[in-house]
Amino acid sequence: MKIGIVGAGQAACTLIAELIRGQFDGNILVFNRESRSPYQRPPLSKSWLKNPTDTQSIRLLPEPIETHSSVQWIQEHVQAIEPDNGAILTNTRHTVDHIVLATGTRAKRLTIDGLPSDKSHVIRTVDDAVRLNHKLSDALNIAILGAGFLAFELASSLDHPERTIRVLARGNRALPQISAKAAERLVDQSPASVYVGIRIDRYDEESAVLVTNHGPIPADLVIMAVGAEPNTELAKACDLGSHEGIPTDSFMQTNHPLVSAIGEVSLHDQPHLGESARIESISEANDTAITLAKRLLGQPEPFSATPWFWSDQGDLKLQIAGLCARSDEESCLLDTETERVVIRHRGDQITAVEAINAAKEFMAARRLFEEDGISLKATLEQGSLFRLLQSSRS
Amino acid sequence: MPQLICIDPAEQAINVTFELGETILQATHRAGVDGIIAECGGGCSCATCQVILNADWDETLDAPSAQEADMLSFAIDPTPYSRLACQVELNEKHDGLRLLVAKRQY
Ligand SMILES: Cc1cc2nc3c(=O)[nH]c(=O)nc-3n(C[C@H](O)[C@H](O)[C@H](O)COP(=O)(O)OP(=O)(O)OC[C@H]3O[C@@H](n4cnc5c(N)ncnc54)[C@H](O)[C@@H]3O)c2cc1C
Ligand code: FES
Repeated sequence: MKIGIVGAGQAACTLIAELIRGQFDGNILVFNRESRSPYQRPPLSKSWLKNPTDTQSIRLLPEPIETHSSVQWIQEHVQAIEPDNGAILTNTRHTVDHIVLATGTRAKRLTIDGLPSDKSHVIRTVDDAVRLNHKLSDALNIAILGAGFLAFELASSLDHPERTIRVLARGNRALPQISAKAAERLVDQSPASVYVGIRIDRYDEESAVLVTNHGPIPADLVIMAVGAEPNTELAKACDLGSHEGIPTDSFMQTNHPLVSAIGEVSLHDQPHLGESARIESISEANDTAITLAKRLLGQPEPFSATPWFWSDQGDLKLQIAGLCARSDEESCLLDTETERVVIRHRGDQITAVEAINAAKEFMAARRLFEEDGISLKATLEQGSLFRLLQSSRS
Repeated sequence: MPQLICIDPAEQAINVTFELGETILQATHRAGVDGIIAECGGGCSCATCQVILNADWDETLDAPSAQEADMLSFAIDPTPYSRLACQVELNEKHDGLRLLVAKRQY
C-alpha cells in the first residue's frame, strides 16, 4: 500500500511515526512545501523566538524515522488531488492508494492601508520567526493585533526593557477563548498594554503610528495574530471541504473513501463537546493522526480523545483540559498569588478546566474526563480536582 | 561529544551524544530512542517523557520545578529518581551517565 500525505506538520509527522512504530507494510510519500525538516510550531511564539536560528531543537521527527526507508519526502507544493485516481499533482503526477490531507491552517492577514510589507508580520512558520527577528533590533514600539493566546505569548517573548508592546483587540475583552477570571490573571502579568474595542483606519508611515478610533498608536512593527484559516483549497476543488474545514467521520475519512483528513484542517464530531468542531491544537493534531494510523494499520477505533491545550506566557503556564463553548458558565475553584483554576460548566457538567500554574489540577481533570464526566458539585465539595480524583480511586 | 547511555523499554542500551545545554529530550529525540512519547514536544504539559535517573545524577541537577514535580506525579509509576526528559538540561557533568526510559508513558 502507498500512502500520500499532503503537508508535513504535526499531524502528518505523528501519523508517519505511528505507522512506522506500528510496522506499517507499505510506502509513505510526504509532500512538504516548506524547504526544511518538519518542525514544531508551539515554540515559534514562546521563548524559542529569541533565537530563531536553532532549528535543530524544534525538529519534529527523530532522525531514524525521518530517514526511514519507507518514507519518501517530496519538497513540493501540491496543486491538486484527483481522489478517484488516487493522484496527487505537483509539477509531476504521483499516484497512491490513499490520500491524506494534513494541510493545517495559515495565518490570517489584515489589509491595512499604508502599512509597508516589511512592517507587517505574522507567526506561523520558522521563516516568519526569522523575518520578525531581523526587524526587532530597532522596533521600540510593537503593536500586536488580536488578543488570543498567540498575541499574549508573543508579548511575553518579545518583552524587552526598551520596548513597548501593545496588544490591540477588536472585541471588548482579551483572551475571549477562556474565562474572564483566567484571562484577567494572564493580562495582569503580561508585559503588554492591552487596548480593547480597537478599529484600525490606516497606518501613517511618517509618524510610525496606527491611526485608530482610539487615536494614534505607535507601531514600528505590526504583528497580526488574528487567527488562522484552514488550507482547504485542495479539498474544495473536489467537493470534499469548505472554508470551514474538511469534514470527516470518526475514523478521519472524508466523503471520499480514498481520502482522509487529519489535524487542524479536519472537521469532525468531538465526543467531548457533543458536536462537530475544528480544533487548532497539538492534541487534536496528534489524536486525529493516531486515529487514522490505527485504521490504516487495520485496527480501527473511533476518535474519542478529550481535547487539551497549553500556552506559556512568561512565568505563567496556562493548561486547559477539555474544551468549552464561550457561553459556558465559570466558577473559580482555586485562587492564590501564583495559581488560579477556573471551572467551565453547563449546569453541573464540567466542560473545561483552565489551570494557571496548577498542573496537578489540569492533569487530574484530564484523567477524570477520560474516566467519566466531572460533576461541578462533587468538585466544589472536594475543593480540588486532584482530591476528587484521589477519592474516586480509593 | 559527551554521551548518555539510555536503556530503552526493550532494555536495549543506546549511546546518545548530546550538546551542552540541550535537554535530555532533545538528545534522545535526535537519536530516536524508543519509548519517549513527548506528546507536547517539551512543553511540560503531557508527562509522557518520563525517564528514570540513578544516584550518579545526584549533585549534578537542581530539584524539579513545582510544575515539573506536579506533572511527574501524573506520570505512570514515577519513582523518586523520575524526571521529565524535557525539563532536564544537560551539562558536562552528565557525560557517561545512564538513564532508563520509563516502560510505559501512559
Ligand atoms: C506560533 C504558534 C504557537 C502555537 N502554540 C501552541 C500551543 O502552545 N499549544 C497547542 O496545543 N497548539 C499550539 N499551536 C497550534 C499547533 O501548532 C497546531 O494546531 C498544529 O501545528 C496543527 O498541526 P497540523 O499538522 O494540522 O498543521 P500544520 O502544523 O500547520 O501543518 C500543515 C502543513 O501542511 C503544509 N501544506 C499545506 N498545504 C499544502 C500543499 N498544498 N502542499 C504541500 N504542503 C502543504 C503546510 O505548509 C504545513 O507545513 C501553535 C501554533 C502556532 C502557529
Ligand atoms: S514532553 Fe510533554 S511533558 Fe515533557
